[in-house]
Amino acid sequence: MSKSGVSHTKKIMPYLLLSPVFIYYAVFWLTPVISGMVEVFTDANGKITLLENFILMFESDLFGESVLNTATFAAISVVLQYFLALLLAVLLNRKFKGAKLLTFAAMIPMAITPTAVAILWKTGLVKEGWVNTVLLFLNLIEEPIVFLNAEGFMAVLLIILIDTWTVTPSVMIILLAGLQGMQKELKEAAYTFGAGKWRIFTDITLPILKPSIITSVILRLIAAIQVWAIAVMVLGFGRAPFLVERIAFYVDVVPGIGTSEKIAFTLSFTTTVIVLLVTVLYLKVSKYGTGVRGNR
Amino acid sequence: MMDKLNIIQKAVVAIILTAMAFIVVVPLLFFLNTTFASDVEMSAFPKPILPKMTVTVKVVPHEDGQYEVFYDSGGGYRSIITTKNPVKLENHFRRQYSVTIPGEKLLEDFSRTRESGPAEFTYVKSIFYNFRQFFAIVNNSLPALKNSIIASLYTILISLSIGSLAGYVMARYSFRLKSVINVSLLIVRMFPVVGISIPMAVLLIRFGLFDTLLGLSLLYSIPNIALTAWITSSIFIGISKELEEASMVFGANRFQTFMRITLPLAFPALAASSMYAFLTAWNDTISALILTNRNQTLALVVYKAIGTTSSGIQYAAAGSVILILPALVFTFIIRKYVNQMWGGVEF
Repeated sequence: MSKSGVSHTKKIMPYLLLSPVFIYYAVFWLTPVISGMVEVFTDANGKITLLENFILMFESDLFGESVLNTATFAAISVVLQYFLALLLAVLLNRKFKGAKLLTFAAMIPMAITPTAVAILWKTGLVKEGWVNTVLLFLNLIEEPIVFLNAEGFMAVLLIILIDTWTVTPSVMIILLAGLQGMQKELKEAAYTFGAGKWRIFTDITLPILKPSIITSVILRLIAAIQVWAIAVMVLGFGRAPFLVERIAFYVDVVPGIGTSEKIAFTLSFTTTVIVLLVTVLYLKVSKYGTGVRGNR
Repeated sequence: MMDKLNIIQKAVVAIILTAMAFIVVVPLLFFLNTTFASDVEMSAFPKPILPKMTVTVKVVPHEDGQYEVFYDSGGGYRSIITTKNPVKLENHFRRQYSVTIPGEKLLEDFSRTRESGPAEFTYVKSIFYNFRQFFAIVNNSLPALKNSIIASLYTILISLSIGSLAGYVMARYSFRLKSVINVSLLIVRMFPVVGISIPMAVLLIRFGLFDTLLGLSLLYSIPNIALTAWITSSIFIGISKELEEASMVFGANRFQTFMRITLPLAFPALAASSMYAFLTAWNDTISALILTNRNQTLALVVYKAIGTTSSGIQYAAAGSVILILPALVFTFIIRKYVNQMWGGVEF
């Protein structure tokens, strides 16, 4: 009898020890998530509505642009950052003098606070800024350019470049860690059997890197969809509208009005759904990709 | 062997890596330059790559006792101010050149030009002028620094105490809902924080925690508890169970074993987790924007300073250096763990 008592406590012990996490997430995560959803599906008077707040959101200023810009930003920035990160990781993985120092230097931008990144580029991109100084010095331009006047796609491109400067190191580090953990024998064996460099890269290096690539792409996508701070701090509200930038706009610039609160809630909900959908979709696609590779 | 490159390939590699180093380092040098720049240097063009420690002005004496001050901001000397008023002169030198020298002293220096004619004067800049200005001009900046530290500490405390316990359980026990809980932790971590911030404000108002640092930390802890659980569980798995069992054979109970054996061995994981927690709280602006009113954090104050002071962005730059330093130090302390636990790289 006492034996069964022991096994019983053993069974509930992990749940008991996990109870702080359960309680914490029930109160501070699940409650806000649910109450946020309730806000989205009720109107200002508390009546249940399915579409009213979404219509409000669709008709709000710059909504279409913000969706388009967010998609453009996420697609271009993730691809660009991956290409650069992979290139740098492969090059820095080679053994040569100064490789460690260069890796260290390459990592600095990821350590810089977002607000500081914004100031760095804002002071750089004005007419008398350092970007024009450098471009003139390199003879790439003849007259200083007023970058901060960029509009539409050029404004988004500007934010993409700034984001790439900041974020590429963190992607590179992940890939570099994956490369360094790779067994050298595998590559050497392939080389012995006559595989070329490119073949080794596509058929050995990339598949081995795949797990790190998949997870870090998800993290990058999630962060990319939520871009806002750089855009607002460098260009100001409404210049390069993004989904989360709109949320911040309705919270920071026009707070307190019933409709702006509803729009903010609906935008949050929409962003969250998009993030989760993209994550699931990406996981599905990358799994499918593995299958194809495996069958070949 | 296979890794040998021919000379052209070597050159290409060298060019790419040099370009990379250039693109990383040059903006940082110019940023440092901005933090130490005086007002006139902000509009100077082209920009020098190293910050100037001195300022040189040309002074021409006038017959009515006034002095005309010339400054060269890139296109030759231009007349800036003509005065004999020491207060005006002192203010001008402080605001425009970050030179803090009493006006009488300046007039005394300039009086030399009465005999020897127009001359150039070089003064040493007050190097930390922008830093002092940041705390003097920007509202709440000093309390905000304190707030940031407190919010970070709360976040570390909450994330570590709840998260490491969960990590320990996930590593040591096997139970039925384990995989479900594992996935749930991942979902919580992936969930965008903006999606929770606004309803969280409503919740915190109900608890009386709105506009408090504890309330803010409760939000920051949401992704970090899950992250801590993940990081620590991978480390706890690596700590041999035999060591713990031996300790218990010698009469220590599970709690004592945890405190004396397991915890010290897991220290690196705890250090890494606490630093991630620190960075979340330290760098965030959007949640602080939504959840605070008067009790702002330093990152939020700097963010607001960029928006409001269009002319004095160098003061905001100085403020952001104060933000960067701890973040920089911590990021390089944890870079060892970043390599192993790449899931936590982006935050």
